[in-house]
Amino acid sequence: MTTSHCPYCSLQCGMTLTREGRSLAVGAWEAFPVNEGALCRKGWTAAGLRGHRERLTTPLVRDRAADGTRGELRPATWDEALDLVADRLTAIRAEDGPDAVAVFGAGGLTNEKGYQLGKFARVALGTSQIDYNGRWCMSSAASAGLRALGLDRGLPFPLADVERADVLVLAGSNLAETAPPAARHLDRLRERGGRVVVVDPRRTPTADRADLHLAPVPGTDLALALGVLHLVVAAGAVDEEYVAARTSGFDAVRRSVTSWWPERVERITGVAADEVRALADLLIATAARGGRVMVLTARGVEQHSQGSDTVLAWINVALALGMPGREGAGYGCLTGQGNGQGGREHGQKADQLPGYRLITDPAARAHVAGVWGVEPDSLPGKGRSAYELLEALGTPDGPRALLVHGSNIVVSAPNATHVTERLAALDLLVVADLVLSETAAMADVVLPVTQWAEETGTMTNLEGRVVLRQRALTPPEGVRTDLEVIAGLAERLGSPVPFATDPEEVFTELGRASAGGPADYSGITYDRIRAEHGVFWPCPATEDATDGTEGAPHPGTPRLFADRFGHPDGRARFLVTEFRGAAEQPCADYPLHLTTGRVLGQYQSGAQTRRVKELPDTGPFVELHPQLARRLGTADGELLTVRTRRGAMRAPARVVATIRPDTVFVPFHWVGANRLTNDALDPASRMPEFKVCAAAVSA
Amino acid sequence: MSTGEHLVVVGHGMAAVRLIESLVAGGWVTGGGRLTVLGEEPGPAYNRILLSAVLEGTHDPRATELRDEEWYAEHGVALRTGVRVAQVDRDAREVVLVDRDRVPYDRLVLATGSIPTLPPIRGLVRPDGTLHPTVHAFRSQADCRGLVAALARREQPVRRAVVVGGGLLGLQVARALSSQEGARTGRAAVVTEIVEGAAHVLSRQLDRSGAGILARDLARLGTTTYAGARATGLVPSPMPEHAVGVRLDNGHVLATDLVVLTAGGRPSVALARGAGLEVRRGVVVDDHLTTSDPRVHAIGDCAQHAGRVSGFVGPAWDQATALAAQLLARRAGGEVAPYPGNREVARLRATGLDVAVVGDPEAEAAAGGEVVAVTNPITRSHRKLVVRDGRIVAAALVGDLARVGLLTQYVERGTVLGPHEPGDLLLPEARSAATGPADLPDDAEVCACAGVSAGAVRACASVEDVRATTRATTGCGGCASSVRALLAARPPVPAPA
Repeated sequence: MTTSHCPYCSLQCGMTLTREGRSLAVGAWEAFPVNEGALCRKGWTAAGLRGHRERLTTPLVRDRAADGTRGELRPATWDEALDLVADRLTAIRAEDGPDAVAVFGAGGLTNEKGYQLGKFARVALGTSQIDYNGRWCMSSAASAGLRALGLDRGLPFPLADVERADVLVLAGSNLAETAPPAARHLDRLRERGGRVVVVDPRRTPTADRADLHLAPVPGTDLALALGVLHLVVAAGAVDEEYVAARTSGFDAVRRSVTSWWPERVERITGVAADEVRALADLLIATAARGGRVMVLTARGVEQHSQGSDTVLAWINVALALGMPGREGAGYGCLTGQGNGQGGREHGQKADQLPGYRLITDPAARAHVAGVWGVEPDSLPGKGRSAYELLEALGTPDGPRALLVHGSNIVVSAPNATHVTERLAALDLLVVADLVLSETAAMADVVLPVTQWAEETGTMTNLEGRVVLRQRALTPPEGVRTDLEVIAGLAERLGSPVPFATDPEEVFTELGRASAGGPADYSGITYDRIRAEHGVFWPCPATEDATDGTEGAPHPGTPRLFADRFGHPDGRARFLVTEFRGAAEQPCADYPLHLTTGRVLGQYQSGAQTRRVKELPDTGPFVELHPQLARRLGTADGELLTVRTRRGAMRAPARVVATIRPDTVFVPFHWVGANRLTNDALDPASRMPEFKVCAAAVSA
Repeated sequence: MSTGEHLVVVGHGMAAVRLIESLVAGGWVTGGGRLTVLGEEPGPAYNRILLSAVLEGTHDPRATELRDEEWYAEHGVALRTGVRVAQVDRDAREVVLVDRDRVPYDRLVLATGSIPTLPPIRGLVRPDGTLHPTVHAFRSQADCRGLVAALARREQPVRRAVVVGGGLLGLQVARALSSQEGARTGRAAVVTEIVEGAAHVLSRQLDRSGAGILARDLARLGTTTYAGARATGLVPSPMPEHAVGVRLDNGHVLATDLVVLTAGGRPSVALARGAGLEVRRGVVVDDHLTTSDPRVHAIGDCAQHAGRVSGFVGPAWDQATALAAQLLARRAGGEVAPYPGNREVARLRATGLDVAVVGDPEAEAAAGGEVVAVTNPITRSHRKLVVRDGRIVAAALVGDLARVGLLTQYVERGTVLGPHEPGDLLLPEARSAATGPADLPDDAEVCACAGVSAGAVRACASVEDVRATTRATTGCGGCASSVRALLAARPPVPAPA
C-alpha cells in the first residue's frame, strides 16, 4: 500500500493506493489532515482511468503531404517521434529565432514537471514563449494577493482554520460540488455557531449550506464588495488601530467607497439593498464583538475582466475589519487545479523563474542561472500570457510550433473556435497526454505519458502545503514520464546542460533554484513530506552551524502574515478599484447573461473524468430558470441552442429555480461551452472573462 | 480643437465630481487640457445622497467625502472652493466671480445643481432675508450639520418636528428624525409630522393606492401625514413648551420645535439665464449636453434634457460620464455618441419604509402603458408594473420589495418578457414544498459525492453499513442527516420467527 493524493483538484486529498492483482484500489487515508479520509466520487473512482482502452501507449505521428495537407496520425517509435520533433524545432528556430517555438504547461502538472518545463523552455529552447493554463485558474487572485498582501499563497493558513471563523464569506465558490471534502468545514463552522455567506448567481449546493446567499448579476461582484466596504465605513466599524499599524493606502479607499451606497449597489448587482445590509451588518457585528471574519474567493468572482479588482475589493474589506494575519480569519483564495499553486511558482509562467521570482529581476536571473549552470544573459525575458500566446500562434509575429503538456486547450480555452483555428495554423503541434484528448487529436506528434499513480512527484495544494504523490504501480509499456520526454528532447536539441529524469533529483534542484525566493522550497525533502503530512512553504534550508553540527530544520510556514505582510515595509496595501462592469453587456440580440462552471462528477476539460465509467457523463446542459423556460417555450430536457457573438452550442435544458432568471449556466467539461465564452482579459492578471458574456437562447 | 483647451466647471457637486473623475481618467489633463473647478460650498466634495443617513445617525458623518483636495492637485486640476460665480461673460469667454476675479474658459460646464424651493409660508423668511431660526432647508452638508446641531442641543430640546414636503426627501428626513436609530447618537426620537400639498405623499411616484399603503406604514411608525394641506404661516406655538406653530390652510396649527423644508428644488439657472442661454425649467441641452451656446454645456440637476429635469443622481452621473466621453472623443477627433437619456430609479432610503420606484409609472401609465398591479392592504403591499411591448417600462413597489433587483434589471436592460411574466413577478416567490428525505423515491440521489441513491441507502442496516458499502457521508458530509432520516423511516424489519 502506498499513500498518495487524488489526481484532480487543489485539495489534493490524501488517499491510499493498493495493488489488487492488475487493478488499483483507492482507500481512505484517515491520518492526512486536509481530508481526514473523506473523498468525493472523483477521488473514489480515480483508479478507473488506469488501463482504459483509450490509453495511449505509443507515440503517434502525423505526416504531411508536400502541399502541407495533414494525413492521419500513425504509430511511431519514441526515437522517430522525438527525432522528428527535435529536427522540426531546430529548423523552425533556425529560420525564425527561438521565440518561434512555444510551450504550454498546466496547473495539473507536478512541481517537478512544471519546473523542468520552465527550465527546458528557457535553457534548451531559449524561448520566452511559455505560459500555462493556470492563467485561467487563480491568476486574478494571485495578482491581487501579490499587490495587496505582497505574497500570493492561495490560503495563507491551513484549510481547517476555516472552521474557526465566526463568519465565512465564500465569494464565487461552489466548494460543496467542486471540492466536496472541504464542505465538511462549513458544517463544523456552523455547528460551532458560525455563519456562512455564499455569493453566487446560482443557489448551489454550497449556497444551500449557507445562512445567507446573495445572487448578484454575473459580472457585478466588484460592486457588491464596494458596497459592503461602504457600509463598514458608514458604521464606523473600521479597525482603525489595525489599519494604522499594519496597512497603507486606506484613506483613498475610504473615499472611493463613499459613492457605493446600498441602493446603488442594488441597481447594479440586482441584490436587494437589504441583503447587502444584512451581509455588512453580519460582518460589522462579528468584528465589533472581537469575532473572526474570513473571506475566500474562487473562480466565480475571479474569472472576469475585473477579477483581480474584485479580489482586491474583498481584501480591502478583510483589511478594514482588521482580519488578515489573525488565526481563523483573513482572506484566502480557493485554488482550483490540483497544482494550481505549485504550478505558478516554479517557472511555467511567462514572467516567472522558480521560487516565485520575477524573470525581469536581475538578481533572480543570476541566482537561477547559477543553479542551472548557464549565463544569466542567456535567459530570455518575459513572454506572452496564456491567451495572448494562443492568439499569436501561427501569426507573422507569433510562434510556429507549440509543445503542450497536461492541457486540453481545445476544450478549456475561451473563444475556443478561434483558438482552435490558431492551433490549426501551427507548423508543428506536439501534445504530451494520456489519451487522445481533443487537443491531442489535432497534433502532429502525440507523446504518450505516464499518469498520476504511475509516477512520483510533488504537488502544492491550495494551502501552500507541498505533498507527495507516490508511484503505486508500473506504467504500461510504451509510455514515458514527462520528465523523460523533456530530457530526451533537450538532449536532441543540444541543450547546454543535462536534464534529470528522477523526480526526487529534480525536486532537490528545484529547491536550490527556489532558495531565497518568496516560495522557498529549499528546506523541503521527500522524506520530510512523508513524515510531516506535507510541508508548507516558505521552508528555507537551514545553514549548518560553524562547528559543523546540523542546524535545526525550518518548520515550514502553515500561517502567513501574523506579524508582517510580504511587502518590503511589512504592510498590506489598500488599493482603489473602480467598477467597470463586464466587457460584454446583454443587448437586444443577446439578452441573457451566460455563466459557466463545473459539476461534481467531472473535472476540467473532462479528458480524464469523461473516461472513468463510474462517473456520470451527462453531457453538457443549459441550466435556466422556470420563468425563462416558459418565456422561451421550452421544458426540462428539450434541446436548446445557446448563441453568443463567438459561437453556438446545442444542449438539453435543465430547468431549475436555483438560478437567476436573467442568467443561463453551461458546464465547461464538454466541447462547446468555451466556444461561447468571451476572451476579454483582466488587464492585471490576463485572466479571460469565462464567467460572463451576453447570450441568446432559443428552443 | 487645441489640446490646451481650458475647461471650466461651475459647481462641485455629484455631477461635477463624476465629470472631473472621468476626464482625469480619460487623460484630459495629461493630454494637455486644463481643468478648473469652481465650487460654491467650502470644503471637499461629498456625497449628498448620504446626508439623510447622517441625519439618522446610521452613517458616519466623517465618511461622506468623495475626493480630498490633494487628489485635485495630484491630477493637475485647479480646484477653487467657497467661490461664488456672479456671471458668465460669453463674449469675453470668462466666468466672473463675485469678488470681480475673472476666470477665462474655452469651454464651460454648468453643474450648478438645484436650489431648495421655499414654499410661500408667511414668516418663513425674516425681514433681513434669513430663515426663521426654527426653519432648516435640507440640501447641503451645512444644512445637515445645522440640523444635527439643532437636534443635539440641550436647551430648548427638539421634541417635535414638521417636515414640509412629502416627496422622497421629505419621507427620508421624517424617518431620520423619528427613527430610534438616532438613540445611538445620544438623542431622543422626535415626533414628526409631514405636510404635503398634493393629495398624497410621493405624488410624483405613486398612485393613490400605493401612497395609501405608505401613509399607513408612516402612521404605524408614529408619523402623522397631513396630505392635501399647505402650510401658510409660522405663528406662535399653541403649546408653550414648543417653539413655533405651523398654520395649515385647513385651519390646523401644528406645534413644533423644528421645521424642515423638503418641498423639492428648482434647477439653479440664474447664471445661465443671466448669460442669455436658453432656459425653461432648467438649462436646455441637446443630445450632446450642449446649451444654446456650443461652448457651454450643462449636466445634472440644473440641466433640462428632452424636456425633463431629473433631480436624481443616476441621470446626473450618466450625463457626466457621457459629456466626459464626448469631450475626450472630440479632442481625439473621434466619433461623438449622443447622450441617450435614461431612466430614473427612485429608491427611498428610510428605515422601516420599503419603497422602490423605477422609471415614471404614473406618466407611463397615462401614456398608455399596460398596468399590472397587486395591492394588498392586509399585507400592506402594493406592487405595480407598467408594461409596453413586453417590456416593463416602470415599476412601483411599496411594502414588499421582493425581486426589486431583478425588476430593476429588467427595466434598465429593456428585457422582452413573456406575457405571463409581469404577473408572475408580482406573486410571492414559489418556495418548493419541503419534502423530507424519507419521501424520496428510490432512484433519487441522496449523496452527490459518491453518487448514492435513496434506495441504496434504504438497503443498508446502519449508518456504518452505509459508509462501508456505499461511501455516502464520506465526502462532503452534506447527506448525513438525509441518510439518518432514510434509515429511521425504513419499515421495521420483521423479527425472525
